[in-house]
Amino acid sequence: MATDARVACIRRVLGSFPDWSEPVVFSAPAFRIVAAATLVASACGTPGDGRSRAATIEIVDDFGDTLRLVRPAARIVSLNPVITEALFALGAGARVVGRTHWDSSPVAALAVPDLGDGMQPNVEAVLATRPDLIVLYASNGNRAAAAAFHRAGVPTLTMHTDRVADLPRALQWLGRAVGDTATARRVADSVTRSLDAVRALPKGATRATVFWHVWDAPVITIGAGSYLNELVDIAGARNVFGDLQRPSPQVTMESVAQRNPDFILAGPVAARRLRADAQWQAVAAVRKHHILVIDTAVVGRPGVRMGEAARFLRAALDSATRERRP
Amino acid sequence: MSLSRWLLLAVALVAACAAGLALGPVPIAPGDVVRALVGAGEPQAIAIVRDLRLSRVVLAMITGAGLGMSGAALQGTLRNALAEPYLLGVSGGAAVGAVLAVVAGLTAAVALPVAAFAGAACAVVLVLLVARAARGRADPRILLMAGVVVGAFANAAIMVLLAGAGEGTVRSALWWMMGSVAGADWATIRWLTLYALGGGVALVAVARDIDLLALGEDAAAGLGVHVAGATRRIFLLAALLAAVTVAGAGLVGFVGLVVPALARALGVRRAREVLLASAVLGAALVVGADVVARTVRAPAELPLGAVTALIGVPFFLVRLRRVS
Repeated sequence: MATDARVACIRRVLGSFPDWSEPVVFSAPAFRIVAAATLVASACGTPGDGRSRAATIEIVDDFGDTLRLVRPAARIVSLNPVITEALFALGAGARVVGRTHWDSSPVAALAVPDLGDGMQPNVEAVLATRPDLIVLYASNGNRAAAAAFHRAGVPTLTMHTDRVADLPRALQWLGRAVGDTATARRVADSVTRSLDAVRALPKGATRATVFWHVWDAPVITIGAGSYLNELVDIAGARNVFGDLQRPSPQVTMESVAQRNPDFILAGPVAARRLRADAQWQAVAAVRKHHILVIDTAVVGRPGVRMGEAARFLRAALDSATRERRP
Repeated sequence: MSLSRWLLLAVALVAACAAGLALGPVPIAPGDVVRALVGAGEPQAIAIVRDLRLSRVVLAMITGAGLGMSGAALQGTLRNALAEPYLLGVSGGAAVGAVLAVVAGLTAAVALPVAAFAGAACAVVLVLLVARAARGRADPRILLMAGVVVGAFANAAIMVLLAGAGEGTVRSALWWMMGSVAGADWATIRWLTLYALGGGVALVAVARDIDLLALGEDAAAGLGVHVAGATRRIFLLAALLAAVTVAGAGLVGFVGLVVPALARALGVRRAREVLLASAVLGAALVVGADVVARTVRAPAELPLGAVTALIGVPFFLVRLRRVS
């Protein structure tokens, strides 16, 4: 029977979470910082700044393939929302000719044609846009697509963007590919500085413990391998399932009750559901209404808005801890 | 069957339920479990025992009893020891009905089993038509093949229905299709209990027909059974019970195969007793399988359907050898 297909399907669905496949709503204030960074960058530098027209651009990507470009890319298909957002932050948004169905940020990116899934993408639809660069998320499910793009002779750059440290590297590669390494450096520095500023805030005597609600049926949370686990750490809290290595482990409701987090972090819709659900009352934090509603628009992906995400999370935790104390 | 054997079945069920209530990641002393059941003690323990463990145990019991009885009725009527709602594609049909209902926005606890039943009934009719076209209703292997074909079709239909759905819906649907009693809430359980009790009592009421049909259709007709009508009633009731389990716990395979065989191994012969013994054994088996599903890989949870398949498939192979 179709069990194999089912298992493969589940792997694909579960394996891709919470990297970037979840739809996230755009939030204007969150983007302001990057927009500002970009403005500053373009005001300081001349348009040709950091470009090297003559030299061939060469990057060995995450599948071990070598990307070679004779000139900066002008028609880019981005099959990863983190990359789309980064390209717009680099001021290269006008060169993006295709995006995934899951893109939502910045708003301007929504005007770019939607080419469907970024995992196991529709190869023909991508090639039909006549791209001179395809940026692909580096997961095993995309190996066949990468091979097809290489065969079609289209320069393709595969990279994973799973962790905080992946972003500066992504920006550096993209900066080289679009011929503007100076802006890339500035955006990366701005994100890193924002994160460092949150990291440097004084931590309380005891770190608050949190459970990050990703999904209900089955219950899925975040593990050590995820960007959100790093974000929780930067914001000065501790993930109760931080000992699990997988990025998005599935856990039982009772083990959530057992690890007894101080706070539950959940999206607005899920938070409402948790409060009303009888089963979730087994978790003390739910009973005590210690549920922090997370703006998934800000905190969704390990992209250029990470600094904003860390600040948001830290502020939410601080005010919740203050309310809890008296 | 002797009283001592019925007692044995009851003990097995009670033991499984006790394990289901007592075991879990949070250690709770047996005395505290009992206190929590009656609503005394710490709120944490009460919430865990009543809302997490008890609801799972009850849903697992309904699922096991429903699948056991459904399998027993199908095996008796078809005179086929390999007949089982999952293998015959009946559960698959029920899943299509349930997914259709969810896609159409009909998620009410009262409506889902009805939609699943409509799908299951269609699957039963389809399987019997395919088997008849191959002139093989009497041949267990042809009937099984018809069931596999219908099951594969049901799978494909679900994939098509889910193609346009959001990532979250797909994830939940796939998890549900692997079988799980984790999402047991009391409103759903109340309706499922009602439907399952109705179907179960009705099946026991027509148990005599199952006994007579097991003698062969001609013999049954000779003894005054309206063969076509009786067969239809039994199949629809078996489909209803399977549908109730699918609506509550998704696809849990092989229980309907293993349980009636175990009941018969205990020396039960008459259909009424086989049905009742299958209900008790099925409940014990699925409650036990769920304990395994949520403790073996803690803090993660295995799909219940995977656990029952691990038990059921070797059993199926042994029986297949014997039948052929």
